[in-house]
Amino acid sequence: VIGGRRPGLARVQFAATVRKEVLQTVRDRRVMFMLVAAPLIQTILFGFAVDFDVDRIPTVVADRDRSPESREHLRRLLADGTLRRTAVAGDAAEAERLIDRWDAAAAVVLPPGFGADLAAGRPAEVQVVLDGSDPNRSNVAAGAVSRYFGEVAESMMRDRLERQGLPSPALPTVAPRLWYNPSLRTAPFMVPGILSMLLVIVTTIVTAMGLSREREVGTLEQVMVTPIQPLWLLAAKMTPFVFIGLFDVLLVTTAGSWIFDIPLRGSLLVLFAGTLVYLLSTLGVGLLISTVSSNQQQSFLAGFLFALPAILLSGVMTPIGAMPAWLQAVTYLNPLRYFAEAARAILLKGAGFADVWFQLVALLAFGLAILGLAAARFHKRMA
Amino acid sequence: VKRRLGHFLVRVGAIAAKEVLHIRRDPRTLYMALVMPVLMLLLFGFGVSFDMDHIPLAVADRDGTRASRELVDAFVAPGEFALARRAGPEEAGDLFRRGRALALLVVPRDYERDLSRGAGPRLQLLVDGADPVTANQILAKADAIVRSVGLARARRAGLSAEPPLQVKVYTLYNPEARSAEYLVPGLAAYLMAIAAVLLTALTVAGEWERGSMEQLFASPVGRLDIILGKLLPYLGLGILQLLLVVGVGTAVFDVPIQGSPLAVFAFGFLFLIGMLGQGLLISVVTKNQLVATQAGALSALLPSMLLSGMLFPLENMPLALRVLSYVVPARYLVRGLRGVMLKGNGLGVLWPDLLAMAILALAILAVATGRFKRRLA
Repeated sequence: VIGGRRPGLARVQFAATVRKEVLQTVRDRRVMFMLVAAPLIQTILFGFAVDFDVDRIPTVVADRDRSPESREHLRRLLADGTLRRTAVAGDAAEAERLIDRWDAAAAVVLPPGFGADLAAGRPAEVQVVLDGSDPNRSNVAAGAVSRYFGEVAESMMRDRLERQGLPSPALPTVAPRLWYNPSLRTAPFMVPGILSMLLVIVTTIVTAMGLSREREVGTLEQVMVTPIQPLWLLAAKMTPFVFIGLFDVLLVTTAGSWIFDIPLRGSLLVLFAGTLVYLLSTLGVGLLISTVSSNQQQSFLAGFLFALPAILLSGVMTPIGAMPAWLQAVTYLNPLRYFAEAARAILLKGAGFADVWFQLVALLAFGLAILGLAAARFHKRMA
Repeated sequence: VKRRLGHFLVRVGAIAAKEVLHIRRDPRTLYMALVMPVLMLLLFGFGVSFDMDHIPLAVADRDGTRASRELVDAFVAPGEFALARRAGPEEAGDLFRRGRALALLVVPRDYERDLSRGAGPRLQLLVDGADPVTANQILAKADAIVRSVGLARARRAGLSAEPPLQVKVYTLYNPEARSAEYLVPGLAAYLMAIAAVLLTALTVAGEWERGSMEQLFASPVGRLDIILGKLLPYLGLGILQLLLVVGVGTAVFDVPIQGSPLAVFAFGFLFLIGMLGQGLLISVVTKNQLVATQAGALSALLPSMLLSGMLFPLENMPLALRVLSYVVPARYLVRGLRGVMLKGNGLGVLWPDLLAMAILALAILAVATGRFKRRLA
């Protein structure tokens, strides 16, 4: 090293620091557990717990007709599993009381004379009472009842026309075909989203807190006394997280395809490229947070203050198209949005570089900007 | 006895005062702890909705007649769908494949002729299934639109299509189906969990990290004094957050409090006690702020969001998760707050939830205090 040229020296310094950082990270078994086991637990929990396809809605049934027809209609209504009978009531008032006591979230009330009215072609009315405190669930319940009785009404109308010797009206029908996720399962949609959330938690918050801790303990100042350049030091500190991030991506996609049978249609290479440019942003934000926080608690809170809105505005949980226009505009400033879009397109649609270049370029631009800003602040603070 | 109690209160008060001083010296932590709930509530209230309108649709109209244009208008006019771009059949397919449109409606050649001849034409609808929620909405909306177009034609042709069977829907509690009313009680649980578990875990773990905990042990204060003194200020902070969330929820989003505000408070209070205990336990076990964060996120934040029914109905989950949810305090809190705020339930209905929270809180506090003692020895 004596008399070595500066670039060579920098490389040696960088390599030595990387080695030290890797050793330190690997040696702390609890940290390793958090970086490896936590992503796995999150993937499994999210994959099993999040199911947008609402069914098994607890339902109270009040059959005030008690005719064979009303029993048959109720049986067929409950047959597809969207509604599950959890209680039986005598009338609507009792059904409401049961909903009030959390024994059911929906009630179906068939009036007296229901079967006879239908058979005679007299108008009949089905009453549905819903617990609206969960709007999504009550929508599904109302939809299930309306769809079932809508079909009953249509087939009755056709029968009537036929009996009168009139032709059935020629109605157009829709033949839907679902692409990418034909059985509309939630897990293939969630797993790419989990990836983008996970990398923020693992890299942004861990980096921010790690650097704050070094500042608290004073080791950062000690290293600054050594001849290593601050920027090389930073790069060395981030390097282990780049590998941990890539490893976590591999881990989550593997777990996703084994446990939840999600398709891996695209190339892993494109996904890794996307992860790398995404990590620039997540690590950059972590570094930026550490330069504005004076202790680990502040770093943690600031990390969450970034992560929670970023997750919410990424389209991971709810569609961006369902947000108000001004919030949709804000999502364009959110690196998570681009990574989630890219990961979803790569895994589910088999997208290649040609399809996701815009997302990758956006991530690269954000990453360089954030990392540059953070490095400048870090440099200033250390100098 | 009275004097001993007096001394005890003085010691707890001194530790609590020291902790409050800590928090006040570091106002940024305090701001963030109080800004976060408000920001999250506003974002959730305005941003979280699954209902899409103006869903981008590509149309390949192979027929190009009056009837087919009428059909396309029925898709676009009510605002449910929006044409991604007026395009020919080939280009429309391309828009869909490139993800610029979430659905592609193909109107077959001879659509009008089939209709007038009394044969039911089949429309093709390609749907992007990557997002199942949106895909389900597309399917339901397209089905309803096509059905209503068909019925309108039948009516014009003189065929009465008056349905003899009607479904009347009454919605209790949240008749306008506003997501804020659904989210505010759940968010209160999540945000209080962040403050109570993680801030407590971090402060106490910080004391172990810096070695100041050993110094405290050398002083004449007992471990119960330390625990109570440390937790009290964060209990106050948590209650402040609860008031903020409920206050903003009622003021900005018009979320009602049908039941007794005292019951809201009782639920929040019991929940915070349990969460503080959990934070303490995590800090004693990890003694490291970084590990404490991740342990707190995994053991408190994730379950409070996923296994509480805050966003996703519990009865929908696999059995193992449903069983697990019984030890997640947030499950009872979310149910309790929804019951009190939206349904106007009283303790007559909700006492089992309060009882479950109390048992869980006592259990975790007991374990945490026990571990704290062993660390001391």
